[in-house]
Amino acid sequence: MTQLDRPPGAPDPVSVPFTPGMRDNPDELAQFGDEIARDPEVKHDPTPTEEFTEEWRNASYNCFSSGHKFCREVCPVMQVTRNESWTPTAFHANVVAMDKGELSIEEVAGDYVNCTQCGACELRCPNTLFTGDFYRFRTRTVDVVKAVRAFAVESGIHQPAWKTWNARTDDKTHEPVLGEIPIKQENVRDWSAGLDIPIGGESVLFVDCEAAYYRTSVPRAVAQILQLAGYEFGLMGEQWCCGGPAAEMGYVDQAQRFARHNLDNWRSTGTKRILVLDPHDYISFTEDYPKYFGEEFDLEVVLVVELFAELIREGRLTPSVPVERAITYHDPCRLNKRKGVWKEPREILRSIPGLDFSDVDRVTQWSYCSGGGGGLPVEKPELTAAISASRLEKAAALEVDTLVSACPWSERPLSAAGEAVDIDVVDIHELLAASLGIEVGGTTNGSANGSAR
Amino acid sequence: MTVTVEALDELVTALRTVLADDQILTSKTDRYNRARVPAPFPVHRWSERLPDLAVLPTSTEQVAGVVRIANELRVPVVPRDGGTGLTDGAVPLRGGIVVDVKRMNQVKELDLENRTVTVGTGISMLKLNEQLAKHDLFYPDDPASYPCSLVGGRIGTSGWSLIGSRYGHSRDLVLSFDHVLPTGEVMHVGDGIGHKISKSSSGYQLKHLFMGHQGTLGIATEATLKLFPKPEAELSPFWAFDNYDDAYRCVGALARAGVATFAGAVLFDEWKVAYLRRDDEAYIPQPNDVRALVCAVMYGYEDEVRPAGKRLFRIAKDHGARYLGDEISEGDWAARHDRYATPLHGRTKAGQVVPMSWHCEDAAVNYTNLPSVSRAWHEIVADLRRRTDVFDDWGMFTYTSGSTGVDYLTEIDVGIWEQQLDDRAWEMWVKAKRDIAAVALAHNGSISACHGSCREGEVDLVPQELGRGFDVMLDLKRTLDPNNIMNPGKYLLDRAYETGPHA
Ligand SMILES: Cc1cc2nc3c(=O)[nH]c(=O)nc-3n(C[C@H](O)[C@H](O)[C@H](O)COP(=O)(O)OP(=O)(O)OC[C@H]3O[C@@H](n4cnc5c(N)ncnc54)[C@H](O)[C@@H]3O)c2cc1C
Ligand code: SF4
Repeated sequence: MTQLDRPPGAPDPVSVPFTPGMRDNPDELAQFGDEIARDPEVKHDPTPTEEFTEEWRNASYNCFSSGHKFCREVCPVMQVTRNESWTPTAFHANVVAMDKGELSIEEVAGDYVNCTQCGACELRCPNTLFTGDFYRFRTRTVDVVKAVRAFAVESGIHQPAWKTWNARTDDKTHEPVLGEIPIKQENVRDWSAGLDIPIGGESVLFVDCEAAYYRTSVPRAVAQILQLAGYEFGLMGEQWCCGGPAAEMGYVDQAQRFARHNLDNWRSTGTKRILVLDPHDYISFTEDYPKYFGEEFDLEVVLVVELFAELIREGRLTPSVPVERAITYHDPCRLNKRKGVWKEPREILRSIPGLDFSDVDRVTQWSYCSGGGGGLPVEKPELTAAISASRLEKAAALEVDTLVSACPWSERPLSAAGEAVDIDVVDIHELLAASLGIEVGGTTNGSANGSAR
Repeated sequence: MTVTVEALDELVTALRTVLADDQILTSKTDRYNRARVPAPFPVHRWSERLPDLAVLPTSTEQVAGVVRIANELRVPVVPRDGGTGLTDGAVPLRGGIVVDVKRMNQVKELDLENRTVTVGTGISMLKLNEQLAKHDLFYPDDPASYPCSLVGGRIGTSGWSLIGSRYGHSRDLVLSFDHVLPTGEVMHVGDGIGHKISKSSSGYQLKHLFMGHQGTLGIATEATLKLFPKPEAELSPFWAFDNYDDAYRCVGALARAGVATFAGAVLFDEWKVAYLRRDDEAYIPQPNDVRALVCAVMYGYEDEVRPAGKRLFRIAKDHGARYLGDEISEGDWAARHDRYATPLHGRTKAGQVVPMSWHCEDAAVNYTNLPSVSRAWHEIVADLRRRTDVFDDWGMFTYTSGSTGVDYLTEIDVGIWEQQLDDRAWEMWVKAKRDIAAVALAHNGSISACHGSCREGEVDLVPQELGRGFDVMLDLKRTLDPNNIMNPGKYLLDRAYETGPHA
């Protein structure tokens, strides 16, 4: 019974408590005339802005209408800027204001740079937490930010550094790390010098641009661990950037073009499985690619951190060389917050002898970020640096000498911040390799590419 | 816009003498996002409430500098902290400068011996408690907005804490603070001048005056707060009842029991239960015969909470309660903050789900008057609902305010379909708010127990509630803020500057 008994004298069913929508409610309820509420006006010849806000209106409105900003204190940008214009809720409010004709895409576009797409806000948001997507009203701030960035690009509004970055990436089909490092198709496999890895095959190791050109010790460690475990794999024929960063900055066409190239290339080498070491690629392959290609994208995506944990569990890898370091672990946003992967990295770390591991639980780490994602370091490196510094401050409070991450994109800014507090930043794969007695080689700072440190 | 383009240039130039460029925000998005709090407002009138600019000071001196300039140039100043206030206190009515104090969020001094902490007023209780946890201490100001409201806003509203029956509310927990007066002078507010004194008898008691004024008497910049041992145990039984009357009597008995670890009791009425029932999967799965819920909360050491809990369980049982079990009790109390925050339950009478904002009217009402206030309030909202689906009744909570159960924070939650809120609907709503406030006064209650009452509608009745006291407010306002620059338009304080009986 959802409708309480109407007491004698009560004028109508509205005067007693009831649960709207329940089957056994009296018909009278649906028959009250309405003085105000109307169906929303349908625009016949909508402007691009109207088309955009039509799609996002209710989603953004759901945040606007709560407006409590529970998300705020976990937002890494907010933590260092304390600027309310750059909070998850502001990103939604701007869309509502655009819907009301108060703000234009020109006026809002610049604010949307200030997001690392870490997803912490979504985890903290009651609209996401409690209801699943029961009403299809879930608050998806990361998607809203991406959508507004895409709408800006589509409207011809560019952020200067993002524009250059994407033009260069397009030119080189890879992240255009500047300086000495040659960013060319011929160099994309330089990191694997001497490892004797075949091209193509059922399983292909995809190496993100940052790791392939800059932090080459990471893919080297991964490849050698796989070899040690006897796991067969090859490299891509012609590997382009996964397109994830372009998608995050709003350069949707480029992102899809890159994705198409990679998919075609995997097809041409008979690939069925992609091994991924970078959390950002993992998001691209498990979220973006299925969106672009639907059923056509039928490849298995394997995160190597998870694979390594499994291999250790099965006894196929046994870390035995003690690593005498006092460490803590940085949960990469895209693993912990966006994908819920936090157990396996800890499993790996606990299996390495010699480590003195001061853990910080994953929920506390919802408010941690390196600042290295979402294109932030390209457009606002000073903000990335501040966010990394704040992350390292938390590590320093634990009196560790090493911060372990599992995301190559976090490691450059974290390392820079680590220098100030004398903390080494090491990749989990490298650490595991060391404990497996592997001489990794490669570089952690983009210097002499591919060779030993 | 209250300030012309030339005047704005002059203002910005003047502000640059105290602030760096990145502390002065003039863009449209910066202004729109500081003209907004969670309380619903007809969004088609958003542009009426914009500030001319916002500033992000980092010290008391900077705040004082900004206020001094504003006072000289006669520009309105609106203090803003978390921006979660529900009576629009932090929303500018006359443009001017929003002084956003969020960058003042440092812990300045932690005194473990005297058990105090001194913080910038832009810090959140959640972040503060993360730092205090290392010392096994906590700051028990725990509103449902705990993750998002900040210390300065708690001072500005003189807010109410869910566990206040044990630890007291913001006004009891804030010992003292540095405060910038509307003229830009800096004073220290608190018992005595020693910053850490909890009770003095010298002079007028000014602390109350400078709390809960909604930013109309200045800006608190640095506060010293009282700390407690972090509770070892928390017991929060939820009980179900098959009728409101038993639940009501039970709450009263729990509050009157005089249990020392008792931190609060809550009563959810039939409308609230019907509202929660909309999403059983997200909340308490309740059998149909559940018509009212009661929660009691105890905080303290394990060995004091356990026997106290037994006593409260006994009382509840005597009143016909059915215990809902540990899992529901713990989970639901743990979700006490988020529970207020889900806006997804807006529904038309026919059951269609629509995005709605949460509005909450709060009053302080004596225990004996709760049933009749509840009935009258629900009837006011029912009347709105009869006329339009813009409004939805989300039920009522009543919470004990103090340890003895003398009076209760009484709130009715109303869902408002803000996208549909045109001028007509807004008028209906403002009238309803006035009627709701009138009911509280007719029952010898106060219009607000925690949020303040400076919004259109209820604010009209503030002079009636305070009587001669309201004239004292006007006198104080005129004296402290000779040019009416601090948050003008709020609390009908403009009357202080009108010629006539008050001038
Ligand atoms: C989900 C939710 C639940 C809530 N639950 C509760 C609750 O349980 N108890 C409760 O009391 N409130 C509650 N509120 C209301 C709100 O959180 C409180 O009013 C809170 O005290 C406001 O703090 P704030 O930092 O957001 O202040 P703001 O909204 O920024 O400001 C509030 C008022 O204080 C003034 N002000 C801000 N900073 C200063 C300063 N430094 N000096 C002087 N004046 C200043 C502003 O001008 C404004 O008038 C709730 C709100 C939400 C959204
Ligand atoms: S994103 Fe979620 S938590 Fe943040 S303000 Fe919006 S609804 Fe609230």
